[in-house]
Amino acid sequence: MKRYVLYSIALGFVWCFVHGVVNLSNFLIGAMIGPFLIRPFKELYSFGEEISYREKLNRIPKQIHYFSILIVEIVKASIVVAKIVLQPKIDIKPGIIAVPIRAKTDVGITAIANTITLTPGTLTIDVSNDKSALYVHCIDIDNAKEIRDSIKDDLEEYVLEAFE
Amino acid sequence: MNNITFIQDILSNFFFIAGMFFVFLGMLGLYRLPDVYNRLHATTKIGTLGAFGVMMGIVVKLGFGPMGIKAITVGLFLLLTAPVAAHMISRAAHRHGVGLCEESTLDDYGKTYCPMNSSCAVKHEETIEDEHDQM
Amino acid sequence: MNTIHLLDIALIFMVLSIIPCIHRIIKGPTIPDRVIAVDALATVIVVMLGVYSFVQESVFFMDVALVISIIAFVGTVTIAKYLDEGVVF
Repeated sequence: MKRYVLYSIALGFVWCFVHGVVNLSNFLIGAMIGPFLIRPFKELYSFGEEISYREKLNRIPKQIHYFSILIVEIVKASIVVAKIVLQPKIDIKPGIIAVPIRAKTDVGITAIANTITLTPGTLTIDVSNDKSALYVHCIDIDNAKEIRDSIKDDLEEYVLEAFE
Repeated sequence: MNNITFIQDILSNFFFIAGMFFVFLGMLGLYRLPDVYNRLHATTKIGTLGAFGVMMGIVVKLGFGPMGIKAITVGLFLLLTAPVAAHMISRAAHRHGVGLCEESTLDDYGKTYCPMNSSCAVKHEETIEDEHDQM
Repeated sequence: MNTIHLLDIALIFMVLSIIPCIHRIIKGPTIPDRVIAVDALATVIVVMLGVYSFVQESVFFMDVALVISIIAFVGTVTIAKYLDEGVVF
């Protein structure tokens, strides 16, 4: 029941954003249509686990912090790749490395994989079978250990704080 | 009041030009970089940031009217779905047998899903040859 | 006057960006190259529609942009699944 309420609120906001006018009546229409949309796809939403509103609310400041860091990283990543594209002769050493991760839940793994894809010079290809490592394609490998350390120390901390 | 409009004009035009220049750089990367995975780097990061920049330009110019909110929706949708599409297509390409380019240094992924048949883990020379012919 | 200049600049940039995509679609050596190029083409068209909607001051082109981005995403994922497993569903 708690999940129906949470996802209905989220879908109400989505309805407002697609409609183009954010006001109370649009939000209520979206939130009323929401349960009929959640019901057929019930197994996608992991109804088995218990959740609490307080925990979700407590995470919002950390998630805002995470998104602000993410935007800075995206801009940096684009400038790095743009420099490579604008070189007169392209001189890169690409390769695929395995990066161990600490996140356990599916939401955490998805968040860190998408974060890695949007940060400088790296692109997630696959998750290993036991969900303990990600395979990451790097556009320029100087030092594989350095890339692993930077992912583990900088990015994963914020993702673990925000989503686990 | 006039001053604020002027600043809005300059800022939104800056966002437009920067965004379109980034989109152009992304497509240039699609043309110049050597193999599938490096091209994905270009289109995923630079192209998405450019599209988001253009949408931000619209928001800065028009405020949170209907068009501004729809622009935010389109930008956020592109930003959320580009990594997922890149992940799916790169995984499919690697399993389909598209090799890395010849400058590549190491490949940890190739030996994980087919340890017996090592031919699909190594680089595919004919792909590289084709590419160098047509460049 | 300002907006007309903006439309000109936007169209020139976007046509310049479409040329590499068409090149990749026609001559790309492998199938994933072509899929990436189609996805990038959809991004360029979305940007073009955004600028056109802004210049024409009409909201409806923005809906078209949203629908095109959704269809491009679903198409890319579908083709990737087909290449990977041989079936879509």
